[in-house]
Amino acid sequence: MGEDKRQSGDAMRPTVLLVDDMAANLRVLYESLNGSDYRLLIANGGAEALKVARRARPDLILLDIMMPDVDGFEVCRQLKADPSTAGMGVIFLSALDAIADKVKGLELGAVDYVTKPFHPEEVAARVETHCKIVRLERQLASRNRELKLVRDRILNAMVEGVVGLDADGRASFVNPAAVRMLGEAAEGVLARDVADWDPAALREAMSRVLAGEEEVTIRDLVLPRTGGEGLPAELRVAAIREGAVTRGAVLVLRDLSERRQAQAALAQTSDQLRESHRELKEAQMQLIQAAKLESVGRLAAGVAHEVKNPLAIVQLGMDYLQQELVLEATTTRVFQDMQQAISRADTVVRGLLDFSRERQLDLTPAAINDIIDASLQLVRHELNQRNIQVDTDLDPGIPPRPFDADKLQQVFLNLFMNAMHAVGHDGTLHISSRLRVLRSGDLGAQAREAGFLAGDTAICVLVEDTGPGINPENLARLFDPYFTTKPIGEGSGLGLPVTRNIVTLHRGSIDLGNRPGGGARAALLFRPEQH
Amino acid sequence: MPGGPACSQAAGDSNHVNKKRILLVDDEPALTRMMRLNLEQTGRYEVREENRGASALAAAREFMPHLIFLDVMMPDMGGDEVAEALDEDPMLQRITYVFLTAIVTKRETGTGAAEISGKTFLAKPVRRDELLSVVEQLIG
Repeated sequence: MGEDKRQSGDAMRPTVLLVDDMAANLRVLYESLNGSDYRLLIANGGAEALKVARRARPDLILLDIMMPDVDGFEVCRQLKADPSTAGMGVIFLSALDAIADKVKGLELGAVDYVTKPFHPEEVAARVETHCKIVRLERQLASRNRELKLVRDRILNAMVEGVVGLDADGRASFVNPAAVRMLGEAAEGVLARDVADWDPAALREAMSRVLAGEEEVTIRDLVLPRTGGEGLPAELRVAAIREGAVTRGAVLVLRDLSERRQAQAALAQTSDQLRESHRELKEAQMQLIQAAKLESVGRLAAGVAHEVKNPLAIVQLGMDYLQQELVLEATTTRVFQDMQQAISRADTVVRGLLDFSRERQLDLTPAAINDIIDASLQLVRHELNQRNIQVDTDLDPGIPPRPFDADKLQQVFLNLFMNAMHAVGHDGTLHISSRLRVLRSGDLGAQAREAGFLAGDTAICVLVEDTGPGINPENLARLFDPYFTTKPIGEGSGLGLPVTRNIVTLHRGSIDLGNRPGGGARAALLFRPEQH
Repeated sequence: MPGGPACSQAAGDSNHVNKKRILLVDDEPALTRMMRLNLEQTGRYEVREENRGASALAAAREFMPHLIFLDVMMPDMGGDEVAEALDEDPMLQRITYVFLTAIVTKRETGTGAAEISGKTFLAKPVRRDELLSVVEQLIG
């Protein structure tokens, strides 16, 4: 420990080189300084002085000017010319008292001047002053080194990119994070002027701060990077000030890409969550629907069996009797009525079976417009007879998607028949199809229940008639099985339930209402692609 | 059969040997009776009724019909099971059979019989003319 202290004390002890060609002068100098806390070296000529100075690196040289081999001015010039010795302090010693020599010596980089004959106290005092300066400089340098180390350690450890700017806007330091974020080596960054920075917002922020503003923050900025995508960043330019004077600025860059990615990932997760929630809801609805259909299906099968057997017995019995009996007009009429009654009962049961059994689709890619056209062909004759005009407006740009064309034809047939019955005679059937983005006004209760949202792209089909429209009282019951507004025997009460069932199986929706100009409107929505 | 009331039908008796035999299997006696009456009315078929699915095979072995009508839904043994047993029996597997069903609708069968996955179906309620034309078609 003690040794360490002495060594470090020794290292801090200034070394003074005494140079004079006269031994007597050297002795005087030596004696004036000996005993003080210096390490003293001696050279008796210019050449010797250069040699010792280069080897021993003194902190201060007391240098005689007039020497026979190399004079003091030359020694000083050579020492100042060599960076490794340029830092040494030089005090000239001379008998010369000319102003010109003092000026020349100071111009050469000397720190002081002592004239002969020496006063030992004066020499000691001047040397002491300069050595104190040297000591302080050393401490300062050492402190600076420590500070720089700490600074570098901090800068290196920082996640934020830091770039120092001097008062002229030239980069003075840059940390590794900034190098990474800028995508340019430190040397390149350090060579930049304000004009070399991009984008313009950044240059402007730098200029404003260097011109006196305290701080400028830009929350959202894309830093161009050499050979790569721009980096989303937040940046702060803060002034470095001494009093009121701006000495430079610090540029702090924060990489937002990870935050952006995290945000994007979060948004995506949230989207996925929403999507799976929606799928779950849909699946749940389908399950409920399936469960309903399942019970209806079992019931229907039971009813069909229980009703159709008696019907078959009555039918065959009647057929038998018609063969056995001699028929009169009245008897024939009775048989006809009975036959119609059987047909009616059979129709009802058949409708129930249809309704319960529409559970599976046979999907093949088809164009909705073709299905509409084919359905229209089936009612064309009756439409003509009733003098009902058909006004079609079909969007040719709707891409095919998987449909069960037969079942969907049944849907349109039901809708066209309903329209025809509503109109009676003389009217118009409007049919339109579109592929478009849904507005909230497009979404009826059924569409919402089927999971359609405003902003979704959907295939929209409207079937409208010029009949009396739907009585608002009946709107809520239209899809109830066995609800019918037609005369007894004409409607099974299952057309619309079956229709909705088929549409729902296609993950579509059907809403019924009245159009603004009067008449009924059926609005169907389908997703462009069945997943 | 001989010595029964049918004896009085001389013309029927004379054709007796040429009559095609039809077995009707349905758990509803009134239905098999109505079908029998309509078939026999033509004078061309000899018809036997069986109202229990489980007895259908024994009846078939004894009667050796040309055609069997099989109700699909029967409480003890379904028509499909009877059909399976028929197919597996070397004695009976050549007999043509037609399913009678309330569940397959007329739209699916059209009028008359329809083939669904290789099986022939006739939808209830069946009408006399349909019944006769299906029989005519299958066994002449």
